[in-house]
Amino acid sequence: MTRLLMNLRSYTVPYAFLSVLAVLAAFPLFWIVLSSIKSTPELANDPLSLWPSQPTLDHYRRVLFELGALTNLGNSLVISLSTTLLTIAISAPAAYGIVRFYPRVGQRLTQLLISTYMFPPILLAVPYTIIMISLGLSNTYFGLVLAYLSFSIPYAVWMLTAFYQTVPLEIEEAAYVDGAGRFRTFLSVASPIVLPGLVATAIYTFINAFNEFLFALLFINTSERMPIAVALYSLGGSEVLDWGAMMAASVVVVVPSIVFFLFIQKYIAAGLAEGSVK
Amino acid sequence: MQLRSHTTAGLWFVLPAMLVVVALLLYPVLSSIFFSFTNRNLLKTVYAFVGAQNFLSVLNSRDFWNAFFTSIKWTAGSVLGQLVVGLLAALALERVPRFSGLYRTLLVIPWAFPAIVIAFSWRWILNDVYGFLPNLLSAFRITNGNVSFLADPQLVFAVALAINIWFGAPLFMINILAALKTVPRDQYEAAMIDGANLGQRFWYITVPHVRRVIGLLLILRTIWVFNNFELLFLITGGGPAGLTTTLPIHAYRTGWGLRQLGMASAITVLLLIFLLVAAALAFKLVSRWERTPAR
Repeated sequence: MTRLLMNLRSYTVPYAFLSVLAVLAAFPLFWIVLSSIKSTPELANDPLSLWPSQPTLDHYRRVLFELGALTNLGNSLVISLSTTLLTIAISAPAAYGIVRFYPRVGQRLTQLLISTYMFPPILLAVPYTIIMISLGLSNTYFGLVLAYLSFSIPYAVWMLTAFYQTVPLEIEEAAYVDGAGRFRTFLSVASPIVLPGLVATAIYTFINAFNEFLFALLFINTSERMPIAVALYSLGGSEVLDWGAMMAASVVVVVPSIVFFLFIQKYIAAGLAEGSVK
Repeated sequence: MQLRSHTTAGLWFVLPAMLVVVALLLYPVLSSIFFSFTNRNLLKTVYAFVGAQNFLSVLNSRDFWNAFFTSIKWTAGSVLGQLVVGLLAALALERVPRFSGLYRTLLVIPWAFPAIVIAFSWRWILNDVYGFLPNLLSAFRITNGNVSFLADPQLVFAVALAINIWFGAPLFMINILAALKTVPRDQYEAAMIDGANLGQRFWYITVPHVRRVIGLLLILRTIWVFNNFELLFLITGGGPAGLTTTLPIHAYRTGWGLRQLGMASAITVLLLIFLLVAAALAFKLVSRWERTPAR
């Protein structure tokens, strides 16, 4: 009994701390969902109500169909999917090649690659702007996707080398002896083994492209082609702010992101922690 | 012969990625350095060399130094705050016997927020007319009338900092948590038998196991926060009165607001040089930790 009490007391502080943090962490999500289903008069007149008196989907209808957010979501989807596919198609062979063919230089190479993480996006934005004007790529999906590859590929190669390193060489040698070419060995022997890593990298790439703001702001300038993040920004810049619509749009953008993050968080943590085991 | 075909085959695997790095990273950076010595304008294709004039006028401008020191304050405050909150949360999660999975899931939510949604949700919560927090504080008579958190020059920086800590602490938390799992249980037990107290156990057993991950996180997040444009831009727009204008926002205004791309290049090149020097020093420190491994 005393032991139970002692345990209770020693856990009180961490539980209280975690509970406070949990409320702080989750409140904005709760609040934007709640605000998105409150009616406009209620948003204005009763800012403290914790439950909608008359729940409504009006804001969703308005933002998706009248303000064109559905089109912008579609743009985001096209841009992010293209970025993801290109990134994986280029990074997976590169990561495999580094691990299998250049194990020694490869380590230095990936270090060099990841150090490009230091390049400020705003620094790259100047030459990109100039290049896009001269190649006629301003205001195109393709131009934006190219710009996204600059940060997605180094990260994906870095992440994927860690995964391909775990593939046992014996399995590949067996396939190789059986007459599979190098590329087939890579594609149908090594890659299926690291599929979870490929999926995690793909999701991470997708979210980053989906959420990117600066390049999209600079390179896309008509609302029909804008990805959702920039379209929302222009919505937030209007004279009279339509907070209900802004909250509904925020919910539409954030919920898929949360689901994906919960799915991949263990892979992201594993990357940094792995080194600390050694 | 065998070896050669080996390397040639490998080349095909890495070539596309190498091309991307050269075309999309190396060439643009060099071209930025090139343009930083010109008077290139956003709307004109003709430009002239101006020597080091951009750098001289940048280094003599008050706005640049204001933005520089704001960037330093913003980065140091954000990253240290994120570390403290993330570390404490990880230690608490590691300690509690039940519901740690549930807490972890709740605590990781902010990290999934895109910048635009971080900005919208907090600007809405803090809105001085309809916002939840100002109205709550007024209702409980903690403040006399609604506070405008994002317009008050006394408050805006601290509030933006708090929002960035809210957003970034989960990344520290989950990575430190993963590192904490690698600490062998029996070391704690042995230390307890030897009479080590909680502080000693933390300092001599926990810290050596997590400091490498913390060091890496600090470097990565410092770079990220220092370079990040959109979070502050979307929350405050750099205002009020330039109080939250960091270097990337300053460069954006120079290049795309004033259309002086050459000048903007000079600002971003200085930014990169500063980062390279800082990162080189930091990596030296962390690699020293690696040479004295945790026992």
